[in-house]
Amino acid sequence: MTDSAPSPLARHILSLADTKRLLGIRYSDWILGSPSIETGIAASSMAQDEWGHARLLYSMLKRLGYDPFEVEHTRPAERYYSAPALDDPFADWADFVAATVVVDGALSVALDSIAGGNFPLARSRVPKMLAEEEYHHQFGAAWFQRLAGSGGEGAARVAEAARAMLPSTLAWLLPGDGLYRDLVTGGSVLPLDAVRDRCEARLGSTLAAARIRLDDIEPSRAGWDGKRRRGPGAPAEEAVERARGDRNRDLFVE
Amino acid sequence: MIGEGVYEVFARKKRGEPLRHIGYVDAPGDELARVYAWKTYDEEKWFEMCVVPRGAVIPVNRDDGPWGRNRRGREGDG
Repeated sequence: MTDSAPSPLARHILSLADTKRLLGIRYSDWILGSPSIETGIAASSMAQDEWGHARLLYSMLKRLGYDPFEVEHTRPAERYYSAPALDDPFADWADFVAATVVVDGALSVALDSIAGGNFPLARSRVPKMLAEEEYHHQFGAAWFQRLAGSGGEGAARVAEAARAMLPSTLAWLLPGDGLYRDLVTGGSVLPLDAVRDRCEARLGSTLAAARIRLDDIEPSRAGWDGKRRRGPGAPAEEAVERARGDRNRDLFVE
Repeated sequence: MIGEGVYEVFARKKRGEPLRHIGYVDAPGDELARVYAWKTYDEEKWFEMCVVPRGAVIPVNRDDGPWGRNRRGREGDG
């Protein structure tokens, strides 16, 4: 992958793929240490889903002239396009739950948008991802509402975690720049207002359990990096080393 | 975990096959029981899966199995 700016569609798919890859890593951190065996198994399964989806999304880039292997295994952290809310590890289970609602939810809205567009690979491959994501949605909604409704420290923490993730994630989901408008004009994705409506439909009732209204959250666009379609910063180096597979590089057989 | 309940998991691989008991999950409510069951037992390609609260299973012919206490409890209530 060259250092030159990717096309609008390649930028968009990279953003989806990198976010899924990082989300899978963050989920995997909680396979051990989550509240119960069942939640650990669910975290493991959700991590596998995210990594599988990321692999499928990276492979779509081949149609756009990129080498998926190079994209997956050679980029430094500062060339990742992932949602900023995943840059650092989750501090606690409340972060995990909030990310399942906010980041995973925003990802599903973005996937739904491109699945209805005119890029053939997205039209054929993304619907199965969205079907698998339904279980993530149910998991996140049930846990979020449970914590938010519990009162006390758990309720305060999950609300705080969601509020911390929302501004940068909304900016990631709703990039109001020219490259995104080019995608809309070309029929690859839905217009921003339609994406916003679907985001409200997907996240709104869950967030309401913590008295959070999406309309009250201002997307954080300060320091917007148009080339990477995200806010400033980069994922922690340790996570990127895992995403690239640095430790086992000599064993690659692809 | 406080508030956890036990849910029995039943599934069948094909339409028309009988549901069979494949395991259980601990969950605090019906919605998470559904997710945990699907994510825990998803190594098979199931046609249908259901979860049932353990307390809702009433044994018919014996009281010494895992659900025996349900029948004894209901008789005590009566």
